[in-house]
Amino acid sequence: MRRRDKNRRKSTVVFLAAALALLAAVTVAGICLEDAAAATDFSRTNLAPSARFLFGTDWMGRDMFVRTLAGLSLSIRIGILTAAVSAAVALVLGTAAALLGPRADAVISWCIDLVMGIPHILLVMLISLACGKGFAGVVAGVSLSHWPSLARVIRGEVLQLKSAPYILAARKLGVSRLGTARRHMLPHLFPQFLTGLILLFPHAILHEASVTFLGFGLSSEQPAVGVILSESMQYLTTGRWWLALFPGLFLVAVVVLFALLGERARYLLDPASAHE
Amino acid sequence: MRRRGPAAALALLLAASLAGGCAGTKAGEGQAAGRDGRSVVIAMGPTSEPEAGFDPAYGWGAGEHVHEPLIQSTLTVTNADLTIGYDLAMDCAVSEDGLTWTVKIRDDAVFTDGEPLTASDVAFTYNTVKAESSVNDFTMLDHAEAADDVTVLFHMTRPFSVWPYTMAVTGILPEHAYDSATYGSDPIGSGRYMLKQWDRGQQVILEANPDYYGETPEMEQVTILFMEEDAAFLAVQAGEVDVAYTSAVYSDQEIRGYSLAAYESVDNRGFNLPAVKASADGEGRKVGNDLTADVRVRRAINTGVDRQEMIDHVLNGYGSPAYSVCDGLPWYSGASEVPYDPQEAARLLDEAGWTIGGDGVREKDGQKAQLTLLYATGDSVRQALAADFAEQMGELGIACQLEGVGWDTAYDRAQSDPLLWGWGSHTPMELYNLYHTIDGNTVDGREQARYSPYANETVDSYMDQALVSSDLEASYELWQKAQWDGTTGVTQEGDIPWVWLVNVDHLYWVRDGLQVAQQKIHPHGHGWSLVNNVDQWSWTQASEP
Repeated sequence: MRRRDKNRRKSTVVFLAAALALLAAVTVAGICLEDAAAATDFSRTNLAPSARFLFGTDWMGRDMFVRTLAGLSLSIRIGILTAAVSAAVALVLGTAAALLGPRADAVISWCIDLVMGIPHILLVMLISLACGKGFAGVVAGVSLSHWPSLARVIRGEVLQLKSAPYILAARKLGVSRLGTARRHMLPHLFPQFLTGLILLFPHAILHEASVTFLGFGLSSEQPAVGVILSESMQYLTTGRWWLALFPGLFLVAVVVLFALLGERARYLLDPASAHE
Repeated sequence: MRRRGPAAALALLLAASLAGGCAGTKAGEGQAAGRDGRSVVIAMGPTSEPEAGFDPAYGWGAGEHVHEPLIQSTLTVTNADLTIGYDLAMDCAVSEDGLTWTVKIRDDAVFTDGEPLTASDVAFTYNTVKAESSVNDFTMLDHAEAADDVTVLFHMTRPFSVWPYTMAVTGILPEHAYDSATYGSDPIGSGRYMLKQWDRGQQVILEANPDYYGETPEMEQVTILFMEEDAAFLAVQAGEVDVAYTSAVYSDQEIRGYSLAAYESVDNRGFNLPAVKASADGEGRKVGNDLTADVRVRRAINTGVDRQEMIDHVLNGYGSPAYSVCDGLPWYSGASEVPYDPQEAARLLDEAGWTIGGDGVREKDGQKAQLTLLYATGDSVRQALAADFAEQMGELGIACQLEGVGWDTAYDRAQSDPLLWGWGSHTPMELYNLYHTIDGNTVDGREQARYSPYANETVDSYMDQALVSSDLEASYELWQKAQWDGTTGVTQEGDIPWVWLVNVDHLYWVRDGLQVAQQKIHPHGHGWSLVNNVDQWSWTQASEP
């Protein structure tokens, strides 16, 4: 027990720092390599993985390692953007539902149920298509479909907080609704919110990849993992396994990393486990 | 939260990738098909399946991808050299003013329900397709009428000398048994084959017509399976089909018992080069491109692109350089051919004022020479062609960016940016569609061609003359002059508003022992053209098990 006590917090912090550094490195590397990822060279097409091309090359002679990095980087950036938008929407709507009275609550809860009732991937496809696909379509699609679950959590939390003694006291002292929400509720909500935000990433990234894979997302000249995977389908029957395997594995790895990041962040932030 | 969907898809994908790695190219042992020597099984792409069925009024044979309708007879046919021959027709003549076509038809053709095919069926067919067809232009036809049982008169709204090419793809419907709601799935015709079975999304089985008036088909049964390219490849490996379409991606594979057949095509790929300066049209669309508006730049692009390199790189050698939209057809002008000459290209660009800047990109008045190349998203061959083209243009000092677009926006975008198109059809009308100006399609008060802004009165007038010509064979020369008449045209020395890159060979896996009859130059569309003459295919004795 004692040893764990000592290490849990420290090791979590170390893990968090390492994971963040890794993801940041991938993101930055991807941005720098964006041009290299699109560079075609028809003198080196369809090469199997080797020391020179770690992940092999595709039918246009593009380096799959560089493409994978650029793809993951793009995924992470889209993930950050969409998760941030989603979380902001969730925060505003969740708080509003809880604070603005029963009528607003009914409307917002109805919206939450509505959006949650439609399969995510379908909704993402529809919104993306309506927004003209491409980067804008994917960001709109993913961010407009991922807020409800977090909004529901926040709404529940705020409802509970509303009757907490210190909030009631603040209200009695004449602090405005907005003031209580901002000064007394938000700090309390923050851990929940941050965890929810981080846990949105894996979904956002996977849905971005899926919708692109299905052809409703990013355009095929962009180095997105979804594009890489859907292209590779064509070449599987001729035995070019490396086109799908490495990008697929690394996509999973990034998603798992984000999921772990969320879990560990919760350990740190949640008062119940923060001092274990 | 919801993780199942995408995760499952991903898992599947990974599993598939591993399985794919192990599936080597093993020989197809099965000899299921072709056993009796009179039948053949062919795999085509899913897009080859006619959505509206086998009704000529809804695109069968005469749609975007032209081919012989097989189930129905046509008045004329295209010969191997793409001149006009006769099927039902015995004689075909046009009046001096070009406004009346008189076609005599044979009297021994019979529909598969036993009724004889008469001139009134022909007239009914043409009046029906004119009224119904949404995929074909029949505005040049006013109406058709039957003068007697074997004579049809076509009254035209305007002279249209290439009318026999339209007649070659329009299948004749039975007037007594035509219901537009059911005909597509239950067609009655007088052609070489009858539709025996159609399982939507899967297969079509055609059976030889015993009462056919021409030579009895060699192949009694033709089964066509619709499958994706990778599935077709696996079907060949398993020996389940006799013929399967494939592409350059698979062309380096070897399958025992099969060989790869490459058929020449005019299935070309080329970029349009907007020939006017950038502005906006009446509807606010962007039209024109400041870089390609200069004819010297367009000429530089045309002569500065190494077509053979493109064929070797992208098509694995299975293609031929394209210099026009109609290479090798009777109306093709040899003047279209242009040598690969990068020095000349550089000289032209210098002359046009585009000089090499510090970063290797040409500049003029502070403007960079930049192009956005559009291609149909999801088409890997077009994407690779566009990428190779971009690479080659980069060497000339024109910086290119690729962008995948859907067909919903591609037509509008192509008004201002080069788009990689695929054309190639068995009629000279294609020249008209690409290069002739369209009434009302104006930019800055000048009428322009439909797909890419371009206008040349001389070119227009040759094509107009060709259409009013009363002698089809003689009109080929006018079509050729429209391309290049010695002083102007659409070739390198002329305006070159489109740069043609390659003709994509149509590739098929063919089981050893199957004799595929000689193919006409295939038009655009990797599908039914192959089976135009399936009735003449045969199995050699050697392949019989």
